[in-house]
Amino acid sequence: MRTALLLAAALFATASFAEDAATLEKSPPPAPYVQVSKALPLPEFIPGLGTLFVNPDTLPAGPFLAYDHDGKLSATIYMVPLEDLQGGKSFDGLAVGAPSVTSVDIYFNAGHAGVEKPHAHVVLFHDDGAKERLAK
Amino acid sequence: MSFSRRLVLALGGGALATLVSPGRPWAGTVETVEMRGTARGERIWFEPRGLAVSSGTTIRFLNHDPGNSHTATAYHPSVLDRLRRIPKAAAPWDSDFLLPGQSFEVTLTAPGVYDFYCQPHEPMGMVGRIVVGTPETPGWEGPSADTTDIAADSLAVFPAVADILAKGRIGGA
Ligand SMILES: [Cu+2]
Repeated sequence: MRTALLLAAALFATASFAEDAATLEKSPPPAPYVQVSKALPLPEFIPGLGTLFVNPDTLPAGPFLAYDHDGKLSATIYMVPLEDLQGGKSFDGLAVGAPSVTSVDIYFNAGHAGVEKPHAHVVLFHDDGAKERLAK
Repeated sequence: MSFSRRLVLALGGGALATLVSPGRPWAGTVETVEMRGTARGERIWFEPRGLAVSSGTTIRFLNHDPGNSHTATAYHPSVLDRLRRIPKAAAPWDSDFLLPGQSFEVTLTAPGVYDFYCQPHEPMGMVGRIVVGTPETPGWEGPSADTTDIAADSLAVFPAVADILAKGRIGGA
């Protein structure tokens, strides 16, 4: 009985993970994700980041889901305030928009609406062409 | 660019006054201050960060940063409760957030020194200074001496009034 329950739970978890990945692949992702440019004064498509969605509960770190002009999930982005890191805060076990990651960019950002403090952008690209599609 | 503007540029600044002034004696000059940023937002700034103009000049704040929103906000108690860093006789302004390509205009008439900032980026030194008229202009009010309501890093970005008056415009990242 106990085994059956565990098995059922495991199956359910697997199924829901697969469903998540599939529903996130195309814009817009389901609630609680919101389109950043609809909630904050930011351009709808930010050069280099694309069209961003985030679950507000996960701010500031994210994940931010980054979609290209065709609505294809192209990157998962984390925004990590330097002050938080320096103060000993860590950001662990963050979700990923898609399981495949082909390259990662990390760079400084001086702050923008939503994440005002100076922070690092950690950008996980999900395919080889993603960076180019998000460029502009 | 309009044909007349091209013509004016071709003829040079001296011709501008001759061509434009007689027909439009009431028209004030417009000067643009751009909000700029690097492609990935590592640095942001006003360009120019120091500007000298005559009374009645309209300042057009234009967000030229494709990836970020900015404000141009006067230091004044009536806007976000800051200590005044514009002439007492001047009206404060706040552009609110400007998206890329958006602009906001304010006409400056009271002579003196105007300091302004970008709300989210002031801590990163995104501030600027406009000087209207010269110390010889009647009613001219010099720069604020306050150092308590502004970060030293931001304060260091304001060019000296004498330098702004001498050069007319100070910028370059
Ligand atoms: Cu700014």
